[in-house]
Amino acid sequence: MNVTLIDSPVANVANIARGLRAAGAELHVTRDAAAIASARKIVLPGVGSFAAAMLWLIDTRIDVALRDAVASGATLLGVCVGHQLLFEASHEMGFTRGLGLIDGEVTQYHGPLPVPQIGWNRVTVTPSPLFDGISNGTSFYFVNSYAVSSSANEIARADYGGAFTAAVQRDRVFGVQFHPEKSSTAGIRVLRNFVAWM
Amino acid sequence: MDVIPSLDLLNGSVVRLTRGDFSTAKVYGDPESVLGSLNVPDESRLHVVDLEASRSGQPLETQTVKRLAARDLRVQVGGGIRSVGDARRWLDCGAQKVVIGTVAADSPDVLQAIVEDAGAQRVVAAVDVLDGEVRVAGWSRASRATLDEVLASITSLGIEEVLITDISRDGVLRGPSFAMYRALPANVRVIASGGVSSVSDVVSLARLRNVGACVIGKALLEGRVDLATASLRASMPNAIPERIIPCLDVRDGRVVKGINFINIRDAGDPVECAKRYEAEGADELVILDISATDANRNIAIETVHRVAEALFIPLTVGGGVRSVEDFRALLRAGADRVAINTAAIRDPSLIERCASEFGVQAVVLSCDARNGEVMVRSGKESTGINAVEWCKRAESLGAGEILLTSVDRDGTNIGYDIELLRSVTSALKIGVIASGGAGKLEDFRDAIESGGARAVLAASLFHDGVLTVRDVKQYLAQEGIPTR
Repeated sequence: MNVTLIDSPVANVANIARGLRAAGAELHVTRDAAAIASARKIVLPGVGSFAAAMLWLIDTRIDVALRDAVASGATLLGVCVGHQLLFEASHEMGFTRGLGLIDGEVTQYHGPLPVPQIGWNRVTVTPSPLFDGISNGTSFYFVNSYAVSSSANEIARADYGGAFTAAVQRDRVFGVQFHPEKSSTAGIRVLRNFVAWM
Repeated sequence: MDVIPSLDLLNGSVVRLTRGDFSTAKVYGDPESVLGSLNVPDESRLHVVDLEASRSGQPLETQTVKRLAARDLRVQVGGGIRSVGDARRWLDCGAQKVVIGTVAADSPDVLQAIVEDAGAQRVVAAVDVLDGEVRVAGWSRASRATLDEVLASITSLGIEEVLITDISRDGVLRGPSFAMYRALPANVRVIASGGVSSVSDVVSLARLRNVGACVIGKALLEGRVDLATASLRASMPNAIPERIIPCLDVRDGRVVKGINFINIRDAGDPVECAKRYEAEGADELVILDISATDANRNIAIETVHRVAEALFIPLTVGGGVRSVEDFRALLRAGADRVAINTAAIRDPSLIERCASEFGVQAVVLSCDARNGEVMVRSGKESTGINAVEWCKRAESLGAGEILLTSVDRDGTNIGYDIELLRSVTSALKIGVIASGGAGKLEDFRDAIESGGARAVLAASLFHDGVLTVRDVKQYLAQEGIPTR
């Protein structure tokens, strides 16, 4: 299956690319807005700051391209900060608007546990094509200081001194807060589900 | 698990004595202001000891206890309670429970009389243990009964909670006596006492099935433990799974392992080893290029690239990283995190520059220590720098985690250096990966439980197939330590 991977400078594109290839994807790695607008299956990666990632999307007009692609029926997967970018806004270092493809806002973790969360965490999943073959309580690898506390589009939850949204789906738009490319067999299975989904 | 602040009272003030010597009393102020500064909530349990009563049998803090009880604090009082009348006096002051020491161990008939008068649920028995032996009368002599006999007599009276203090000398260095608590009969509900010096100690105690509470005195008063954080963490001891990390020591593209950083021998192909470890359930992989400081770095980059192609768990790489550019090259090759060692000693700003460029989660400070000092050049050269101070500095500069290797233990299989680990983990907020000395299953438990490590690393043990990652995970689960 062909997958368009957005070549974001604020992401470890090489790692997610390795994961997607292992999941059976034929990758087209690009930062060309026109190519993204007409793509059918897109992965939006991201690490680091929400604002920097969003700024880059706006500068390159990939924000518009992504909305156009989704409006014309493309399938999209946001990973980590790419997942957060799907939401309406983030409160990381001030207030930054996101792509607004999913309802909800990104906020900082509160509680007694060390931030950032760096490590494996068990996830409670609800039925979704993304989690085909993934049982409840499967662990995925997270690296994040911010998260969405709840969303109407939630398909997975996890707990880090308080529950948060681990994955979302709204029609053909998916987001995962964890790093599937670092989550061993389960992570590659999630990517394979995404790659294979029609 | 309840976290119970513990206050020693003398002349109406909160004090601490050194080795029970009244002339050494350090005064922290009146109880109300101490409770305020510790943010003790009003409904909290509170453990108080009337030091004068424990010395002379003469209770002097009855008014203090009345005031504290009037604030809805659930106060338990100890100190020289040797009769029904002594116990009754504190209960009449509003104490919820009395803590009975010497007579609980030595005079079962007096203990029984107190229980009959007060009710078993209002009595906590306190037992001091020195090298497995019960000590009484201010630790001055051994009890007539063994620990098992004392505990049997206490539980037979229906007393639910037993406050157990390990007064052994090494207890101070190794923290709470986890092994002793674990070995107690299952029907004893323990209030752990002594040795708590970090939130990590509280979490480890909360994971023990028969520990229902712990008292903390000095660590709260000295500001080393925050009560609110400790209480919350105690209510969710399994919130964060602990990580098992196999390490590949690589030289010239091959996995090698030496003893004490010398006597290097070949142990195989890094890609094959990495894949095997992921299949066994490794949570992460560390590659340390032990040749890099002295020799060929391009081979290391190529090795990282080959391993990253085949590995779908987080990968940390270290060895010979001298600059932001070296750091970036390893991330590009597929590392998720990079460990800096010698170069950071020479120029600490490297930590700061890498953290701001790549994020704190990417920066691991690798610290090789011997006798509490930082070693460089693969453990060959001492810097004279204190390891704890160096790790604290690295944390403040932006290191996300510390990889702490005991040079003396490395490759020896005699166990991690728990004292080294405790000294670093109790001084830091960021996580510490324990490295050097793993030889048996208990070592992994002790590094996490007593050492406060957030991850445990081993190389030769896993290479040689003495243990698998899965063995370690199964064992830790059985010991109540959460893993993935």
